[in-house]
Amino acid sequence: MRGGARAAGVVVATALLAAGAALLAAALRGPDRPRTLEERVREVASGLRCPVCQNLSVADSPSRLAHEMRARIARDLRAGKTEEEVRAEFVRAYGEWVLLEPPRRGLSLLPWLVPGLLLAGGAGVAVALVRRWTGPSRAAGGKAEEVSARGEVPRPAWAEVPGPPPEAGPPEAGPPEGELPPRGLTEEDRRLLEEALLSLGEEPE
Amino acid sequence: MKQAAVERHPSALAPEAALRARRRRGLAVVGVVAGGLALVAWLLSFGLSRDPQLLRSPLLGRPAPEFALPTLQGDGVVRLSDLRGRVVVLNFWASWCADCRLEHPHLLAAWDRYRERGVVFLGISFEDRRSDALAYLRELGGDWPHLWDPGSSTALAYGVYGVPETFFIGPDGRVAYKQVGPVDYELLTSQIARLLGEVEG
Repeated sequence: MRGGARAAGVVVATALLAAGAALLAAALRGPDRPRTLEERVREVASGLRCPVCQNLSVADSPSRLAHEMRARIARDLRAGKTEEEVRAEFVRAYGEWVLLEPPRRGLSLLPWLVPGLLLAGGAGVAVALVRRWTGPSRAAGGKAEEVSARGEVPRPAWAEVPGPPPEAGPPEAGPPEGELPPRGLTEEDRRLLEEALLSLGEEPE
Repeated sequence: MKQAAVERHPSALAPEAALRARRRRGLAVVGVVAGGLALVAWLLSFGLSRDPQLLRSPLLGRPAPEFALPTLQGDGVVRLSDLRGRVVVLNFWASWCADCRLEHPHLLAAWDRYRERGVVFLGISFEDRRSDALAYLRELGGDWPHLWDPGSSTALAYGVYGVPETFFIGPDGRVAYKQVGPVDYELLTSQIARLLGEVEG
């Protein structure tokens, strides 16, 4: 009985996912009509670097050479060449420099991959940090070395001040004032500590 | 005394090992970040220090793109394939181009030296008005054929970025060398001599 319900759930979820994917694909493909020559020229031209004006595409450059390049793209497309063939002709003359998008292979794969890797790395660091700041569970099961003798997990100073409120309330109701020494060092403590540290350094070992 | 202080504040002195571990971890993070930044800086210094226009032309060693262009004066058509077996110096220029004026005397001198030895000089006018180009030639001379390139189709086939650019085509019809920017007499004569040596040798 329960197995049947779970199977039905899986089927429904799969169907929903498939429908969503189909919708997304249709949305990305755009309307189903033959593109005009102008649109095809623009598509090719916007992927080519204008040779006489370093960082403009052939579609955006007002220069005469870019104008002539657009005319040649239009002529070649009208003659029945594919967009890929037209691009390849420019690459044959100018090299891959002329492509505004680096090809996705070889060393040029790097600019395609590195941003994704950095993003993933950054997300990993962020998740790790957030878990560290907010996880009171660390006090119980975390690294013993971080748990001080009083059972407190040391927090960085910047986490202390405004700090996210601990998820669960304090483990035990605070003991009445005065039973524990107040937080922070009193003058007396500081003096004792300094002497202790000094004597540590002086003791011949 | 030391005992007393430690007893009252155990957390003050206790986890020295934890501190050290923390410092080590901090150092590792700083190291990784610094390494990443250094890598980015290195890649940038590599990429930004190169002139993107001086990339090796993909035409080097390849058959020179064919063309059949009318002369500027309109008194004939020059077809590259008719020149097979000869050394061709193909110079793209324009009347509005300052570096072209700079290199023109060098072209004249090299032309004088090699015109009797079967070397062909060809000028191709780039993005120019025909009247301006003809006036430029009247002023500076240069009686090798100068060609008119409608629609810049030949310039595009040769991957011309700007003027002046000069292609040296060997007797086998292949592009042997490309100069972006002005040529001088030494470059012209050394490249021509190299290609002529291939003819004779």
